[in-house]
Amino acid sequence: MMRNMIRKATPSAWMKNKFRTVLFGSLLLAVAACDSGERDAGDGELITTIVLPTDVVLDLHCADVGIYPETCVLDDPENPFSTTTIIEFDVNNPDADNKFDLFNSIPAGPNGAKARFYFWATALAQRGSGENQFYTALALHELFDANSNAISKDELVREQALRAYRSVLQNFFGSVTVFTCCPGASPTGEPVPFSIPLNELTADNLYRTDATGLMRLVEGDPILVLELLLDWGFSYQPATPPNFDNGVVSVNEG
Amino acid sequence: MTNRFFEFPQANKYRKRVVAMTGLSLLKPIKSVASLLALSLMFFLPQAGYAQVDEITTYKDENGWKILVNGEDYFIKGMVWSYSPRGQNYSYNLFGQSDDFIRKVLDYDFGLMKAAGINTIRSFTMLPPEWVEYVYREHGIMTVINPLMGRYGYNIDGKWVPFTDYSDPRTREILISDMADFVRRYKDTPGVLMFAFGNESNYGLSWSSFEIENLPVGEQNTAKARYLYSLYEEVILAGKEIAPDHLYSIVNGDIQYIDLIEELVPSLDVLGSNVYRGDSFTDLWARVDEQLDLPVTFFEFGSDAFNARSFQEDQVSQARILKEQWREMYNKSYGNGEEGNAIGAFVFEWRDEWWKYLQTENLDIQDTNASWSNQAYLFDWAEGKNNMNEEWFGVVALGLPDSDGVYTARPRMAYHVLAEAFSIDPYSTSKAGINAHFAGMNMQMLELQGDVAKLKADAFEDDRKLKFTGGRFQGEFVTRGNEQDITEDGENGVEFSDGQMIFLDFAFKPNEQLEGQMSVNILGNVARKRALEFTYGDRGLPLTIQAQTAPEVVVTPGQFEEREITFEDRERVEIYDFEATYKAEDFDVTAFYHTPRFHWGFEGDFFGLVAETTDILGQDIWNAKAPSGIEIQGKNGWSNLRLVAGPEIYWGANPKFVVKYDFKLAKFDWTFIHSEDVARLGEGANATEATIRESRQTTLYASREFANGMELELGGIISATERIDETFDRIDEAGNIYIDEIEFEDTLGFKAKLSFPLFGTQTYVSAHHAGLVAEGGVHHTVYGVTDPSKLPYTGLGNRREYEAGMQMFFGNLMVFPRILYRDNLVDANPFVEPSISGGILSPGINPRNRDADPFAVLNNREARSAEIYFTWDPTGATPFYDWDNEWREDARFAFNFGGTYTEFPTFTDSEQFFFEPTGANAPFGVGLPEEDVWALSSRMIFNTRNNTKFIVRAIRGFEQSTGDPDGGTRDYWELHGRAIWGNGRHSLEGYYMKDAWGPYDFFRQFNVTFPEQIKLDYSLWLGGGLGGISDANAEERATKIGIRALYRTADENSPDDEFLDGANDYTFLTVLYFTYQF
Repeated sequence: MMRNMIRKATPSAWMKNKFRTVLFGSLLLAVAACDSGERDAGDGELITTIVLPTDVVLDLHCADVGIYPETCVLDDPENPFSTTTIIEFDVNNPDADNKFDLFNSIPAGPNGAKARFYFWATALAQRGSGENQFYTALALHELFDANSNAISKDELVREQALRAYRSVLQNFFGSVTVFTCCPGASPTGEPVPFSIPLNELTADNLYRTDATGLMRLVEGDPILVLELLLDWGFSYQPATPPNFDNGVVSVNEG
Repeated sequence: MTNRFFEFPQANKYRKRVVAMTGLSLLKPIKSVASLLALSLMFFLPQAGYAQVDEITTYKDENGWKILVNGEDYFIKGMVWSYSPRGQNYSYNLFGQSDDFIRKVLDYDFGLMKAAGINTIRSFTMLPPEWVEYVYREHGIMTVINPLMGRYGYNIDGKWVPFTDYSDPRTREILISDMADFVRRYKDTPGVLMFAFGNESNYGLSWSSFEIENLPVGEQNTAKARYLYSLYEEVILAGKEIAPDHLYSIVNGDIQYIDLIEELVPSLDVLGSNVYRGDSFTDLWARVDEQLDLPVTFFEFGSDAFNARSFQEDQVSQARILKEQWREMYNKSYGNGEEGNAIGAFVFEWRDEWWKYLQTENLDIQDTNASWSNQAYLFDWAEGKNNMNEEWFGVVALGLPDSDGVYTARPRMAYHVLAEAFSIDPYSTSKAGINAHFAGMNMQMLELQGDVAKLKADAFEDDRKLKFTGGRFQGEFVTRGNEQDITEDGENGVEFSDGQMIFLDFAFKPNEQLEGQMSVNILGNVARKRALEFTYGDRGLPLTIQAQTAPEVVVTPGQFEEREITFEDRERVEIYDFEATYKAEDFDVTAFYHTPRFHWGFEGDFFGLVAETTDILGQDIWNAKAPSGIEIQGKNGWSNLRLVAGPEIYWGANPKFVVKYDFKLAKFDWTFIHSEDVARLGEGANATEATIRESRQTTLYASREFANGMELELGGIISATERIDETFDRIDEAGNIYIDEIEFEDTLGFKAKLSFPLFGTQTYVSAHHAGLVAEGGVHHTVYGVTDPSKLPYTGLGNRREYEAGMQMFFGNLMVFPRILYRDNLVDANPFVEPSISGGILSPGINPRNRDADPFAVLNNREARSAEIYFTWDPTGATPFYDWDNEWREDARFAFNFGGTYTEFPTFTDSEQFFFEPTGANAPFGVGLPEEDVWALSSRMIFNTRNNTKFIVRAIRGFEQSTGDPDGGTRDYWELHGRAIWGNGRHSLEGYYMKDAWGPYDFFRQFNVTFPEQIKLDYSLWLGGGLGGISDANAEERATKIGIRALYRTADENSPDDEFLDGANDYTFLTVLYFTYQF
């Protein structure tokens, strides 16, 4: 016993004991600092460039895709813009690039219709606004037109487009979008910005073929559009020629 | 004999003894059957003894009457016993409770009664036989079995008859049968003294009440009474047929109808009577002796303890009456040369019953209403007024429940008088001795005992009430202005306002288990102090909202008008804070609301999941109300279990619960913690702090201290598993953009820390690997809130981090260098603008944020950091880094000085802020750039010989914003100081800051600085002075008067609405304030 006590008291034994502990601790520290979790080129999917879709057949990723406030489009594997941050117009920095610059780069015509839908639906999911909702509806309208003819209609997309237009009226009734026009008429020679209520544009798009140049979503007599709007809780006094800028949409009482 | 018998401790004691003897005997050969028989007898004898029923008889000779129990004289020193908790009434059934609780009640009450010499009880509540036996065996107290025999109605063939008709044959048949059943049930129960039937049933022949009533006048009910007394006789005869060896009595109202008793109840053994004749029973003894020749017991007598004239408790009058009554009773007992028919009696009653007046109302209030009149009680009788207070008849008062939930009894003077009276045996004491004993009672001493008990009870009772404990009043007069307003409007450009606020503090302790406190805050006017000073958020300020309303004149159907609506006088009264603790047997439950709470860092929370919330004043700036929730801390066998849950258990926390379990295994102390968010906080902790996503964490921590002074701590965490499969994008050095997913391994984190003494130092090294979403909570620094360290600690994931530090001691000087190295597993994202060309999308990439992405690189960015601090503190009893050092430090001079240098080699993702108009977070959109930052700081405390204290804090820094990078890295310095003199009566504090952020967190978050900021605050302490103050909260609340001035200049880095494009150079604020603490 005495011998053991003496041994324990010797500096070398103390150091040895300490050394073991430090060694054990260091080992644990090393284990704790393992390399798991790092990513390299072998991980994930390369998306540096993405070919935009050119077809016109749209599969709805979820029932309310493109309808505020649903955001499932961000999870849609077919959505090329799912990781793209859509830059909104900044009134404090009007000259900066914004979503319309990117939007205008999407190929025109039916080949770009599906990409436009994903673009605006993504913008809507990132920021719920009347403008993003309106252009999503318009893109769906365009897809319907592109994928329909006199014999066959894309009923799924038609229904979705109508719901998107309805969402403009119900969720963003007072919203406007801004156009610029007529630099020639401007004293400075610069385009003049002017705003248009989106509720009017929505009703006009539904009511008049010429408003969009697309097949109307509501077939038959345009009065059926007025009935549909009534069903949605709105009254529409159609715009009249020549400028078609005097339409009035109002919310029905009750 | 029931099995329950063996549960009694005393039975076990006997059994143990016998078993022990059996064991001894087994050591020797048992040679004969006789020995076995003897052994068996020894085993069963104790039980047989208890099972034996007592023989109760009466005895009479020329000296009078006695009761004999097993042949021994027995003088009834009785008590009418009941147990009615506060808030309950006659319907309360003690014997419907658990056996354990019943036992606790009986042990409490009967123990107290036994101590006073009480030997018999009568109870309106029928004690079940096993409990009659229990109180007899455990406390030596016998019981009178007293079925009420239809006194307050009866169930006749399934129908409740409220007024029992004793003339009805069917009723009589049922009552006789039922009373016989009672006799049958109790006849073999040890401890039964006698059977008695009814309760003043002669008063209930035409009316019914549970209260003691005035004696009825007239004998108009004699005819009905004949039925009653003839029924008594039939019941007694039936009982005697079943149990002939017991005594039988009735509970008559006084001796009304004594003639009928004589005529109709010849089988009566003992006349039982309820008698309220004041301090003497007058002619009752003689009349019974003459007409009935029976022993007499009073099943009720006594006095209430409330003086209806002085309208207060009157222990003395009650005690004096009882003393006289017992003295008379002793004189009238056997062998004293008088009637000799007194055999003892039952005092009404043991304990106050708070339900007696009104019976179903005010059950938790002891009513002082006198409900009937009795002229015999002269101490409070007055002509035409009631003087008998039904709820005050107890010789003990009804107290508060104890820790077992048993309502306590507070002995009145009467209890002590009875104890004195019962200390002698009237049969063995001469008449002269009896009278000398009563005459010699020290009534003053007994009164004092009662009064002391009352004072103690009252004091305790006061504690349980909601008490107003104090509070404070704050008033302030404010002037504010800025250069532009003064330039434009002159003196009118200075705005004046005033504010008032009252805090009212309350404490409560309704019972032993529950206690707590709360404060109520009431606003008067709200002074306009912004933008230099914020207090209580927007509380009390007018709120203007934009609303759509229908126009007064409808032009177009469906069109609405935009209008402004202003709400004044909002939130004027609020609960400021609240805390209550309920102490149960195996756990404590604490409810908390806006009261300080500490972290669990010293209790195994290695990853800082539960943050500290002690900065109550900091919260008041924003009228935040954290922490709020409940905590359950186990005790006894559950002491290693702890649960906290609530809407915001620390400042900024999501609604969540956290459970912690500690255990020991393999020489290590282990702690398991699980934290689960159940919702998301509705708004930021302060004006702009971003809320965080719902998440969850589970941690396991092990630590061991070794004999050589080393300590090893190991921890693992699984965090944010809900984010598995969430996608994120990243970019590599070549510009390739990837979309990736969170995997399980990204939720894992490991941390190890080794602390050890090394050449006289205290050294530590630690390593921490955290997966991309392996997010913990706050990092616990070595010195807590006073730690000067500016090492870039974080609780976020996505890092591999190493840290080391060494505390070196050179006399009173400590040198503490620390280093930290951190890498990220995945870097932050830069901004790469998306583009489309030829139908090909380059999606670009954006800085991540913690809402849209599963993780982000923020304050967990890569870092290489080093710092060193020198601390001089010659008085170790007031450690320099204690949280209250500013108030405690007593060294002539103590200081620290040091600095931190940090290289941030990479940029960050985007921080967010809470944007109140949308009620959601918004990202700044860009991250902080790479930067090398540094800061120097020093805190110095001087204590002069004339008791003056100076505290100086200086900071020089080059640091980044915590959110918005716009404006770049700030090069600033700050000088804070405070002087306290005049024995703590005078305080002058202030600061001068150059190019520094504003005083609130959001200034740094938005990178808002001011060229100069100055504050001066002088206060005169009108109360105890700063010498008695130990923390900032107490300082805030103390009585004082003072004036505070703030001044700052503005430039392009300041808020736009303050700089006004250079139109405004400065803004100022003065506050004359007064605080009165009461």
